[in-house]
Amino acid sequence: MSLFINIPEDSEQLPSLKTGQGKLLWIASVDHKQIGIMYLWLALFFFVVGGLEAMLIRAQLAIPENTLISPELYNQIFTMHGITMIFLVAMPALVGFATYFLPLMIGANEMAFPRLNAFGFWITLMGGFLMYFSFFAGGAPNAGWFNYVPLSENNYSSAPGVDYYIIGLILTGIGSISAALNFITTTLTLRSPDIKLNMVPLFVWMVFINGFLILAAFPLLNAGLFMLLIDRQFDAHFFIPSSGGSAILWQHFFWAFGHPEVYIMALPAFGIISEVVPVFSRKPIFGYKFVAVSSIAIALLAYSVWLHHMFAVGYSNTVNSFFAISSMLIGIPTGLKVINWIGTMYKGSIQLTVPMLFVVAFLIDFTIGGLSGVSFAIVPIDWQLTDTYYLVAHLHYVFVGGVIFSIFAGLYYWFPKMSGRMLSAKLGKWHFWLFVIGFNLTFLIQHILGIIGMPRRIYTYPDLPNWELMNVLSSIGAVFMFAGMVILFWNLYTTLKKPRSAPEDPWDAWTLEWHTPSPPDLKNFGEIPRVYSRRPLWDLKHPDKPDKRLN
Amino acid sequence: MFQTTNVELIDKLFIYFLVVAGIIFLLVVFFVFYYLFKYRRKQTAEEPEQIHGNEKLEYSLTAVAILITGIFTYLTIDTMRKVQDIPDNPEPFVQIIGHQWWWEAQYPETGVITANEIHIPVGKKVLVQLNSDDVIHSWWVAQLGRKMDMIPGITNYVWLYADKPGEYLGTCSEFCGAQHAGMRIRVIADEERAFNSWSQQQLEPVAQLDDPLFKKGEKLFEEKTCTNCHAINGTPFTMKVGPNLTHFASRKHFLGDLKVNNEENLRAWLHDPQNVKPGAKMPNFIFSDQEVDALVEYINNLK
Ligand code: HEC
Ligand SMILES: [Cu+2]
Repeated sequence: MSLFINIPEDSEQLPSLKTGQGKLLWIASVDHKQIGIMYLWLALFFFVVGGLEAMLIRAQLAIPENTLISPELYNQIFTMHGITMIFLVAMPALVGFATYFLPLMIGANEMAFPRLNAFGFWITLMGGFLMYFSFFAGGAPNAGWFNYVPLSENNYSSAPGVDYYIIGLILTGIGSISAALNFITTTLTLRSPDIKLNMVPLFVWMVFINGFLILAAFPLLNAGLFMLLIDRQFDAHFFIPSSGGSAILWQHFFWAFGHPEVYIMALPAFGIISEVVPVFSRKPIFGYKFVAVSSIAIALLAYSVWLHHMFAVGYSNTVNSFFAISSMLIGIPTGLKVINWIGTMYKGSIQLTVPMLFVVAFLIDFTIGGLSGVSFAIVPIDWQLTDTYYLVAHLHYVFVGGVIFSIFAGLYYWFPKMSGRMLSAKLGKWHFWLFVIGFNLTFLIQHILGIIGMPRRIYTYPDLPNWELMNVLSSIGAVFMFAGMVILFWNLYTTLKKPRSAPEDPWDAWTLEWHTPSPPDLKNFGEIPRVYSRRPLWDLKHPDKPDKRLN
Repeated sequence: MFQTTNVELIDKLFIYFLVVAGIIFLLVVFFVFYYLFKYRRKQTAEEPEQIHGNEKLEYSLTAVAILITGIFTYLTIDTMRKVQDIPDNPEPFVQIIGHQWWWEAQYPETGVITANEIHIPVGKKVLVQLNSDDVIHSWWVAQLGRKMDMIPGITNYVWLYADKPGEYLGTCSEFCGAQHAGMRIRVIADEERAFNSWSQQQLEPVAQLDDPLFKKGEKLFEEKTCTNCHAINGTPFTMKVGPNLTHFASRKHFLGDLKVNNEENLRAWLHDPQNVKPGAKMPNFIFSDQEVDALVEYINNLK
């Protein structure tokens, strides 16, 4: 019956921190829970670094004609801020949650390829450190995270920063590909025999679909990166127009990766939201099928929209029309999801816990980011507003309002499972309010800054009417976000010092990960309960009115 | 005949977008907060009715979404074709070339060559050819037209239209290196007559004075290799690494519209370019004050 061979569980015990005392086990461990947590620490560490870079940016931009930071340094900082937040924060955090919870949610004891799992983590870490090492080796990458040619070629960027960028990203890309292989294979082969593919929790489903997105997107990036490396190190001409190359080709490679990358971060985030909303509304997800199928639609469409990053390049109306239509279409499945989440709240019994608070902020702010995104599909509007602060605002509403808020929701939601301790709700609310208010103060106003003409990626700006006022407000918002983060760290620190006390299932939830001790033992499940529906624990708790049986 | 300008067309489209997006956003906010309030957890909490979805609702909302998308697709394509209608054999009124980090302008009809301050006649749609000499830049003067990239190896065209005389500010909108921020644009829209006399004046041969300081400056300009990068019309020096300086003193701003063109700023620039515009592609010559005096006297008389 099964299309796939079930991978037998390892008979010998795999190395893990839980099997011995040796310090080397930190490196040797292939335990998916251990690795998931290490991914999260990695993300948290780089969140501090990337956050400090953001604070420097906002300090420099607070007043016009500021000389706090030199243009050379500023360009390194904004480049590293972008790279860090995307490749070293959002990606590892989401991969971390998936690495930890995907096996748990489908009744598996490990990932399909435990060693590959460890490899993926370590190579991602390596890539991150390598990119940061560039600061000590003659300057960090300074051509933007998008690294447009020919600016990033030797003629215009002779410092080694761009080479560090290339090699660092190739490594993290390999890491992401390993993770994706593992997610796909694990989902296909290690599900408990009761669980059919249309019964997996939506988080698993999203991570699964996401695996295919990663597998198709990252090789494009890595191919482009290798070509650029050959240009820079061996004097080839792929991207050098003056000797027959193309200045546009790189943009195609980059955005054919770069746009799917947006959804690579968004889909698992949507997965987290789809887990949290039902539990705190006390209802199953509204329209499982729609959420699941619309994710497939997103994944497919994600490959046909990349040119909307290039509407100002000067393509013909015909070409632009195609990408305008596909870009508008991709808004539909995304918008539907918002409706599904709100539908889940309808007639529920809503508990405003900290994870749910972040979901509410997500629903509002991600909607803003999604709608402003549609304005870039409307090509003529893009021709005016692309590469302005309006775009900076848009992308932060998607990445922070969408992805980071989901990650926070996931963190507060799953922290008890991972650590055996509940994060303080009181501190959590402080974190929430400071961060969310600060975020909106920082970025809402940037829409207007863009509309009145402030371009992005500038290290300073002239003293034009209202620019200073809006930039100061924006910088003040950043201080609030910073304060929120300090509180999160304080919360983590104090909570981790306390003894373990979290119950198995603190939120009265319904998916399998809550059927294990907090934190789970090395072997996740002694015995997996029989599963008949999408909410195994609901059926266990409510034998009188179980969900419809699906197998 | 009354004609809507490209900028007005785009603005109109943006307003339509804002209205529709605003309505959708308000609906989302309304339902989120209404449900949060109405369905908040009650004390005697029993599990609510387990509703799994409503396919009819989802299908109909999808249909509504497709309808809205359809309307905006039509509006987008319609506006796009009006704004980007470049003739098959474009005859540009002016060619603008992006350099790190300044703008070169050439008027094919008259032969005028200038830099940084770009003049156009008012009340007339002018076709602009855009090129780049080094990396990718992007031309954007929001009040005059759309944004368009300047890409090495590729020629792009864009329409500009100014309905009122005046100065219009813009900025390079593609990250182009250290001084991307210093690559600002100033377009000056003149009445027909003023534009013509500006053109005439730009075509005058380079100024010649008998003043010894001027002569000394002229000599220094050649000796100190300024001519390796800067062109002066009517001399053998035609390099375009830096702006053409033949009529430098007729410009009110310089350095890609970064600074007002006055003696103080010019002195500062000649004393140490890197201090005025860090990263700029002009070396510091470490001049004595006397040398700067002479160069300023020379350059400031290049009207
Ligand atoms: C290596 C090439 C180079 C040399 C040599 C050079 N310049 Fe420049 N110069 C430039 C560049 C490039 C700019 C434009 C800088 C910018 O705006 O980013 C410039 C700008 C200027 C400007 C401002 C022009 C404007 O309209 O913005 C003046 C004036 C000037 N140079 C004078 C001189 C003088 C006088 C000398 C000789 C002492 C000199 N330059 C030598 C490259 C050079
Ligand atoms: Cu530029």
